[in-house]
Order: sequence, then structure tokens, then C-alpha cells
Amino acid sequence: MDAVEKANTERQKRWVKDQKVGEGTYAVVYRGREASTNRKVAIKKIKVGQFKDGLDMSAIREVKYLRELKHQNLLDVFSSKTNLNLVLEFLDSDLEMIIKDRSLVFLPADIKSWMAMTFRGLEFCHRNWILHRDLKPNNLLIASDGQLKIADFGLARDFADPGYKMTCQVITRWYRPPELLFGSRYYSTAVDVWSVGCIFAELMLRTPYLAGESDMDQLKTIFRALGTPTEADWPGHTKLPDYVPIGQFPKTPLRDLFTAASADTLNLLSQCLIYEPRKRISAKDGLNHAYFFALPYPSHPSKLPKCAAQLTAALPLEELDGNTLSGKTNRLKRKLSSPDDAKTRSSVARRLDFTKQTPGS
Amino acid sequence: MAASKTPLYEASTQFKNWRYSAQSLAKVRSSLNAAAVSVIRNTFELDEPGSSSAVSFLAPDEELLLVRLYVSKIPQLCGFFRFPEEVEATAVSYLKRFYLKNTVMDWHPKNVMLTALFLATKTTNNPISLEAYTNNIPKTSPSDVLDLEFLVAQSLGFEFAVWHAHRALWGIWLDLQTVPNAPPDRATSQSEVYDTALRYVRASRLSDAELIYTPSQIALASLSMASPELATEWAESKFPSGSQGLSALQATVAAIRTLIAAAEQPVDVESVRGVDLRLKLCKNPEKVVGSKAYLAKKAEEERKAEEKRTRKVIEVEKAMAEGDPFGDELAGRLDDDDDDD
Repeated sequence: MDAVEKANTERQKRWVKDQKVGEGTYAVVYRGREASTNRKVAIKKIKVGQFKDGLDMSAIREVKYLRELKHQNLLDVFSSKTNLNLVLEFLDSDLEMIIKDRSLVFLPADIKSWMAMTFRGLEFCHRNWILHRDLKPNNLLIASDGQLKIADFGLARDFADPGYKMTCQVITRWYRPPELLFGSRYYSTAVDVWSVGCIFAELMLRTPYLAGESDMDQLKTIFRALGTPTEADWPGHTKLPDYVPIGQFPKTPLRDLFTAASADTLNLLSQCLIYEPRKRISAKDGLNHAYFFALPYPSHPSKLPKCAAQLTAALPLEELDGNTLSGKTNRLKRKLSSPDDAKTRSSVARRLDFTKQTPGS
Repeated sequence: MAASKTPLYEASTQFKNWRYSAQSLAKVRSSLNAAAVSVIRNTFELDEPGSSSAVSFLAPDEELLLVRLYVSKIPQLCGFFRFPEEVEATAVSYLKRFYLKNTVMDWHPKNVMLTALFLATKTTNNPISLEAYTNNIPKTSPSDVLDLEFLVAQSLGFEFAVWHAHRALWGIWLDLQTVPNAPPDRATSQSEVYDTALRYVRASRLSDAELIYTPSQIALASLSMASPELATEWAESKFPSGSQGLSALQATVAAIRTLIAAAEQPVDVESVRGVDLRLKLCKNPEKVVGSKAYLAKKAEEERKAEEKRTRKVIEVEKAMAEGDPFGDELAGRLDDDDDDD
């Protein structure tokens, strides 16, 4: 046996697969455990050998960044025969499940805690020159101790020099910033911050804030909520490749919709949702925003609301598998809708959830 | 935040897992070579007792020579496809790293090189279709690339991110435009210094430098070969003149310059050809399609697969007999779909 194979077999023995819990285009997810400690893990088996161009790009991106980032999310990587297996921390739920669980009441301190953890994780990615490009509540996983972890690096990429062309077909539509909707091929960390703003609003509203039905409708939805940007608000935006006039909508104060929010809250929210990407707040400045230093202080992660699903066992396989669950219109819409990405990427993450039940269903 | 005190580079897999001393590199290579020779000798003997004594196996430095030749082919291919520099540099690193875990007697560098380059296009976000790739390379089929892709990825430990000296050189070059008293037109008036330094960075890729030194050390050494004055100017902007850090840096730079100068000598194609000819006779027969050892290994694998299939069929039949074609327990059948692809 080759040395590489041998080392691999050693690593492989550390982990035991227990049950298949989900399947996506490029991976199958199993619940498993570490043989010696019985610690629960999730094992994501990346499918290989069936794509005509070899290892799938999403798989490559995910592995590349998880290996480098030494995120608490990734415990180990091993491969078995012709398969690549990622061993990940087992996380029972995600922020989307928690938002949707109507039996839970969120205190302002709870929202602050989730926002602080999100900003902290994002600042780490950006400090490491990595754009996540798919932030949304169901990619923010929640551990049993309440810690929030950014997951799914299947669309991530690194960035360095300005002027390096990138694809604008990223980020799930409802969380996609206007510069990408206008087809900008040169963008920055600000794209992720816009997504965080949308998540922030969603935590307060308990429903997606900017839920457009198509890419065109998405811009309309944004402008209806935040007002059509003027040349002064966002210099040069009318020159972007896919720019089309959408119509004139007046600016309405955030206060009208977020009636219970404090001034600090609305200030941070508005800074995440600034049209001009260069003026949008950075993850680092977000962390230092007065909101996080004002009362009430963020809840301790262990004190955060937990959804019922975190406590119950996963559903049987047939209900977890395939499209049966994504039949819910709400879930379908959240998938990335761009033509070439829709089939392989964002949809994957949705199907790879460890627990697919929707609270209340 | 504690994390922010660790330089980014020191958190990288390159820093943690792919740094060696010249001595440890030599040791890794000689022990890989010795292990491979003993395995292959064994296989020969099983095939035909006494047959191994006539075989002249490759020595570690001969393996290295062959790898170097194929490293030098990567820039040519990249030029043809117009791949960005990052693809080229990444593929070179992959190829070198691969042969710190494998031997050329098992895997010939030609196909590994093609695979490493294809993988590098994907890991650096410059993908092209496999068809477009292999159609433009003579005598290469898609399977030549795909068959080895997983092995290469696995040998790299799935650590796809590589930090490059050409990026570090760019950083130093930007620094040099902002050091105190820099001539305002330095970017244009001294641009040939940058171009020359970049050529030395490219030459360094043929050496072991990246496995021993950091990208910025290699970049500084390259700059010092192009313009010792500018290299000193930059180093003194980072370290006080006469400090210990500065003299240590100068010693490192001198060592790298020696490596780069040696790497500039072209590979002697004749001697590599001799090595390649001998490789044909001493490569692992288990990996030569059609040989007895190859057939034996295949037959063993087929037998195991057959065993598994039979077991599956029996289970399915049993389930059918019990009236539930899908079985009733999921966990117990997990193994079945674990290695079907």
C-alpha cells in the first residue's frame, strides 16, 4: 500500500458513520462519531468520479478554505477509496430554523449575540482575504452550546488585487447586494456585509426582509424598502453592466418598519445596507459599532433561544432525502437562482442540512 | 484578539505542513525512495524469483532530476493556455509536494504534472473544461488527467492553498514605492528591476527554495539579485540597520541566491533521458497495465468487489422475502453505499 493510502486509512479509522441524513448534488451527509470518544460529528462525503471535469469546484472551494481557516467548524478531513470525506462538527440547527420557530421569543440581547458572532466570523474570513459569498440564515449553523458558526464555503473565493474580475452570480437572491444584481464584476467584502444586514433585519422581523421573486424583482423589492438610489447616494451605479432603471421609490425611514429597534440598532442596520459598497460598513468596524457596546449586552450563547428541532431526533431518511421537503415554496425561493449555479451550488447546502424538518411542520 | 497576533502566513497549511530544512528534505526523499525500491523489488520477486537483481533502481537524486524536468514543462504549457501566473506557480508547488509523498517509480511525473496543472486551474478559480485541456495536449486523454486527480489531491492533503513568492515580490515592490525618500516615479523609472526580480522568482520555482523558505524571503532574494541596493533599502525599512534581524535575513537571502543561481542552469536533457529509460525497467509493475503483478492486483480487487456485490444481492433477496424491498433498518446498511462510486 502507498504511504499516502496508509496514512489515510489511519485517519479514516478514527471516524464511524452512523446514518445518512441528507444528500445533495455533490455530497452525501452522514451523522457519525469519533470512534474513541463517541463525540458526534457530521461526515460530508464529497462525490467524485461522476463529474466530467473531475473534482467539483464547490467541493474544491469548500475544502480549500476549510483547510486554511482552521475554523472550529472543521475537525478533520480524510478520504476513503475514491471519496473525499469531510468530518465536521455536528451542529443540530441553523439560524433559519430558529427564526422560523414561532414558539421562540427573541430578546434584543439575543439578536445582538447572534449578530456579534456573525460579524466575528465574517471579520475572520475577510481578514484572511476570503469572501464567503453565500451568507444567509441557513448557512449560519448553531451548535448545541449556542455558538454560531459560518458554514458552507462552496461559493467562497479569495481576493487580493483590485481589478480582478469575479462572477456576479453569487449569494442567494434575497441576500444579494444591489451591485451584484446590477452585474458588477468587481466587488469586495461589502457584498457579505449586505447579506449580514439582511440577516439582521430578518432576525428582527422574523421573516425575510427583502424577498424578491426574481432577480429583477429583487432590485424593485430593495428600492421599495430603502428608496431608489440617486447618483449622489451611489455614484456610477447607472454605468454598471446590467443597470436598468427600476422606477422611483421614496426613501422610507427604517424606523417605520422596525418600530421597536433602538437608535444604535437602526444605525448599524442602515450602515450594512448602504448602496455605495465603498461606504458600507466593514465587518471590523461593524464589530466596533456602538450597538455592541450599548445596553442590553449580548446574551451569552448558552442562554440563546433554542429551537425544538435541536432537541428531537432527525427524521427518517425518506423525509430527509431529495425534493420532498424543498417542495415548500419558501425554501425553494431561497435557493440561488442564477442559471449555472442553481443546479450545483447553493441548492446543495439546503439539502445538506442535518435536520430537515421545518418547525411546526 | 489573540488570533490577530499570529501572522496570516503562520496560520496557513503551507507554514504548518510544507516547510522543511534542506536536510529533512533529503531524508524524506531518500526514505521514500528506499521504501519504494523494497516494495517494487518484492513485487518483482513474486512475479519471477531472482528478477530484481538485474534491475537498476533510481536513486533519490535521479528521481528529483526527472521531477525537475517536468516542473520546467509547466511554464511552457501555461504559456500555451495563457493561464495566469498563479496557476503556474500553484501547479509547480503541487508537483513538488506530490513527490514528497510519492515516488516517480510508482507514478510517472508526466501524467502527474498534467493532473497537477489541471487541478491548479480549479483551485485558483481559473477552471477550463477537461476537454479543452486535453484536446490541446498531444497524446493525452481525459482519463490520463482524471485517473490521477484524486490521488494528487489526496497526496496534497487537500491543502490546495499555496502562498507564492511572486505575490510577495509584488508586495515588496508596492512597499518600495512608499518607503521614505522613494523617488516618486519609481514604479516606472525602475520597473525593469521588478521585471528582472520576477524572472529570478520564476527561476526559483525550479529549486527547493519554496519548501525551505517563506515566499517573502524568496522574493527578497530575487530582488537582491536584480538590485542589491533596492533590496537593502527595503530590508532597512523593516529592520534597523545593524540589527540582528537584518544580519540573519542577509544570511537567509544569500542561501536562497545560491539555490536560485543553481536552478538557473538548464536541466541536462540527456541525463534525464537516461533516467527515464531506466525508469521504464524499474517502475512498479503493479502500476504497469498488463503486467502479471498488475493483473494479480486487479483480480484481487475484482474478487473483493464481487464478494461485496454477492453480499448485497443476498441482503436484497432477504429483504424482498421479508416483504419490504427497502429493508427496515437504515443504519445497518450504511456500508453499502459508502464505496459504490
